[in-house]
Amino acid sequence: MAFKLSEEFKAKADKICARYPRRDAALIPLLLELQKETGYVAEEGMDALAAFLGLPYSRVKAVVTFYTMFNREPSGKYHLQVCRNISCHMAGAEGLLARLSSKLGIAEGETTKDGLFTLSAVECLGACGSAPVMQVNEKYFENLTGEKLDALLDDLRHNRVMPR
Amino acid sequence: MPTITIDGKSIEVEKGTTLLAAAQKLGIYIPRYCYHPKLSISGNCRMCLVEVEKAPKLLTACSTEAAEGMVVRTTSDKVKAARRDVLEYLLINHPLDCPICDQAGECGLQDYYMDYSLARSRFSMADKVRREKRRPIGPNLVLDNERCILCTRCVRFCSEVTKTSELEVMNRGDHSYIDLKEGKALDNGYSLNIADICPVGAFTSRDFRFKQRVWFLKRTKTVCLGCATGCLVEAHHNENVIYRLVPDPNPETNTWLCDHGRLTYKALQAGDRLKKGVIKNGLIELEPALREAATRIDEARGAVAVMGSPWLSIEDNAALARLARDSVKTGDYCFDFNFEQGIKDGILINKDQAPNTAGVRPVKAAYGGISMGELAGRIASGKIKLLLTEARAAALLKDALKDSGTRVVVFAANRGEIPAGAYATLPYAAYFETPGTFINYQGLRRRTTPPVAAPEGVKPLWDVVNKLASYSGASLGLDSGDDALKGISF
Amino acid sequence: MENILLKDDVAGLEAYFACGGYKPLKKALGLTPAEVIDEVKKSNLRGRGGAGFPAGLKWSFIPKDAQGPRYLVCNADEGEPGTFKDRELMRKNPHALIEGMAIAGYAIGAAHGYIYIRGEFAEEAELLEHAVAAARAKGFIGRNILGSGFDFELFIHRGAGAYICGEETALLESLEGYKGQPRLKPPFPAIKGLFGSPTVMNNVETLAAVPAIIDKGGDWYASIGTGKSAGTKLFCVSGPVNKPGVYELPLGTPLRDLLEKNCGGLKPGKKLKAVIPGGSSTPVLTAGEALAVKLDYESLAAAGSMLGSGAVIVIDESQCMVGLLRVLARFYHHESCGQCTPCREGCGWIEKILNRFEEGRAEMKDIDMLSSVADGMMGRTICPLADAMAMPVLSFVKKFRAEFEAHARGETCARRAGPKA
Repeated sequence: MAFKLSEEFKAKADKICARYPRRDAALIPLLLELQKETGYVAEEGMDALAAFLGLPYSRVKAVVTFYTMFNREPSGKYHLQVCRNISCHMAGAEGLLARLSSKLGIAEGETTKDGLFTLSAVECLGACGSAPVMQVNEKYFENLTGEKLDALLDDLRHNRVMPR
Repeated sequence: MPTITIDGKSIEVEKGTTLLAAAQKLGIYIPRYCYHPKLSISGNCRMCLVEVEKAPKLLTACSTEAAEGMVVRTTSDKVKAARRDVLEYLLINHPLDCPICDQAGECGLQDYYMDYSLARSRFSMADKVRREKRRPIGPNLVLDNERCILCTRCVRFCSEVTKTSELEVMNRGDHSYIDLKEGKALDNGYSLNIADICPVGAFTSRDFRFKQRVWFLKRTKTVCLGCATGCLVEAHHNENVIYRLVPDPNPETNTWLCDHGRLTYKALQAGDRLKKGVIKNGLIELEPALREAATRIDEARGAVAVMGSPWLSIEDNAALARLARDSVKTGDYCFDFNFEQGIKDGILINKDQAPNTAGVRPVKAAYGGISMGELAGRIASGKIKLLLTEARAAALLKDALKDSGTRVVVFAANRGEIPAGAYATLPYAAYFETPGTFINYQGLRRRTTPPVAAPEGVKPLWDVVNKLASYSGASLGLDSGDDALKGISF
Repeated sequence: MENILLKDDVAGLEAYFACGGYKPLKKALGLTPAEVIDEVKKSNLRGRGGAGFPAGLKWSFIPKDAQGPRYLVCNADEGEPGTFKDRELMRKNPHALIEGMAIAGYAIGAAHGYIYIRGEFAEEAELLEHAVAAARAKGFIGRNILGSGFDFELFIHRGAGAYICGEETALLESLEGYKGQPRLKPPFPAIKGLFGSPTVMNNVETLAAVPAIIDKGGDWYASIGTGKSAGTKLFCVSGPVNKPGVYELPLGTPLRDLLEKNCGGLKPGKKLKAVIPGGSSTPVLTAGEALAVKLDYESLAAAGSMLGSGAVIVIDESQCMVGLLRVLARFYHHESCGQCTPCREGCGWIEKILNRFEEGRAEMKDIDMLSSVADGMMGRTICPLADAMAMPVLSFVKKFRAEFEAHARGETCARRAGPKA
């Protein structure tokens, strides 16, 4: 099945492109938009976006593989991204990662069988004053403790919080 | 016009000249990987760092422009240390698979290691970043990402020269690797240049790999005859076999070489290379073939036409003109070729696929003759019983020859060139086998130098023509190619 | 003293307006661009992103006769580990940034501005979008601002996860839709920046300080701080202190005061071991050095470190310096763009050597190897990321060598011996 950019996407994309003197400057914002629609950036999506912006595919692929926020394959409904940089490390990020890993039964980079959670360790999220920090999809959860984490997992499982 | 000092030598250079270029003018070599004179400056390899007085840090010679009064040092301890360090960094994740690497002998890592390092490895083999080993990447190249030093010459070549942008550095940091779209072939008509400019064994030529150790190769500068562009090339050969053609960069015509031109040498080594004559599809020895051709020419005397060829040298065309005028004694000869010329792809490939359209003109000027249209008309109307020409030129008259009953005698180097229905074919020495003069689309004279010898008994075309004339009782007096050029001004 | 930047309850346009917001813009538009630049020069405001380059001087580098568009870019790609001040500032006082950009845009003759915000700050990006829309609705952004004839459009642009984009020219590449790989300089952005046009780039905190400078005058701003280090600075404190967070203090404030007075000291039972004073790439200070230093550009340079982004990372005795350095090395290895050889290969090498220390496989000679690999990276790359890796390595090894030696001997370190965090 051929992948096609939706008309809605194209309309939005044209507006974003208009912010720049060159359309291709919108590549990264458009990839983020595309990812928001489909959860990840697929090969066909890269092709379609390259054609839409009049760019060589290789440039799109290079950008997608350079930046860490682009998922190359579908991830869980909730992407748990635990910061492990220095301040979070000192505040026990390793323990949180281990706790998540054992509670969910998955290692870093893996997704639970029910497709609910993907676990990642990430570098500094820029919220060091409230370490340890975890980002779930695009939402920050700060000053975490083991107990808070357990409660959060529970809330996520039961749709009591809905991060974007 | 700033004046700068490099290693104690002073030089005045044009504004905008880089330190690397200024050093080169002084005969000072600064090592480099990412720098290439015909590609944009990238400055990423850091091999060309030099010390500039008053600059707080070492500067890249490839990107730093000369400024009045600069004092540059390229061999100070600081510079030497930087080069040693860069080499060490480049080698830590390199597979060091030199024994099985065909870049040996022309590898930038090996060469610079000898020149600037000779340090012992401090890196643990177990820690190396592994990347994908060899894989064919298009019809002409093999890519070994593990050997790549990420200088990005290949990436810049594809974006700046061919403008096809297939290649990119994917990922980042020491996990970076060169790639293109999955399932796509790197086939842009110029891909083999990438094997040339790759300073290490990451991109190698599928044609050349493991055919010959480079230190056994001899180099002969000659001309590519793949089209009217007439690129200068270097043929690399050993023991009478050509192994590859590479560009011989020159400001007039070419920095690069197209894949088509690069592989033209292969015709010489092809299975259908003619070493004997052909009469009606049957191979026969050279002497009898010549005799047969001469007999048929004599037989048809009064209705013989001779046509030159833009695929032949000036010498050979002139010999054919002499044959027509002085031996066959016909006015039905044609040296009239007017192919449109010019670069068709913005790079090197010419609209005119023949190498010597411009070189036939002085032959026509000296000998005259009829136009192509006239010749075609005379053939079509049945007035020509025998046509003598070169195989590819004969194809130009395909329509006129059809149903005309004209006997066609051609000169050909390969059996595949022979037009259908040709009566007799005489082999001749091709232009990697004999010297010849050509004029390219720019009007520049190009003389080929043969890297290899022709198959035994196979002679240059002018020599074969000389013999044909003698069989018919005429003496053209052609003892050399130069004899044929007499009376022709170009 | 009263905060200039970090204020409560000014996030909304009405509230911001109520305390005098956007009056400085009006005032600036009544001056000539040169007068605005002079005022900023007079203030001695220096770049708050890390390099500390004088802001007014930077603005004046835009060639006066430059034809074509000019751009103003705000660097909100806050990513230096330990740094979280811009996030706080954008949340609490977004209009100070927007107003500062309008004034800066006017000063340099830019009709377009972009705020490049790190991709992870999705919420903050949205907040800014709303704030810009509100400012546009009131005529502070857009065409013919406040009837002055000055047009200034402002766009929010999100990144997508790459620390290197905090580097000025990598950010420009990223903003143009490429991989964030730093450019060779020269040409500098003031001559050839975004889309090849003259460009000024400033940090969020730098731009947010501009309205106050225009409002109260450059001399007033210059009178705060130490003279050479003028004005207030946001300090972000992380680590085991009682009240971590962002504090706005005059430059020249003793680090000891920040820790003890503002942050309430270290948590019970914790003893100070070291401080990284300006973000993860600045050289570490021992407890003694840290408690003696003042927080300004000159004092920290004299102490062998840097003010950097003002990210004060507090390290207590229960932490293992070898382990912390490994965490930093992993980060720089992860973030090296891969362009320059020494950084691409060196960052990973350093991490791998540190892994040996952590896993009990290191030898004594590996300690000097760490320093030598770092030395080989210093000052030899296009951008300072290699230095940012090398500086912590060199300072950690120099100041805490005994811990590296203990690891090489296979002894238990502070973190492993101490209670689990």
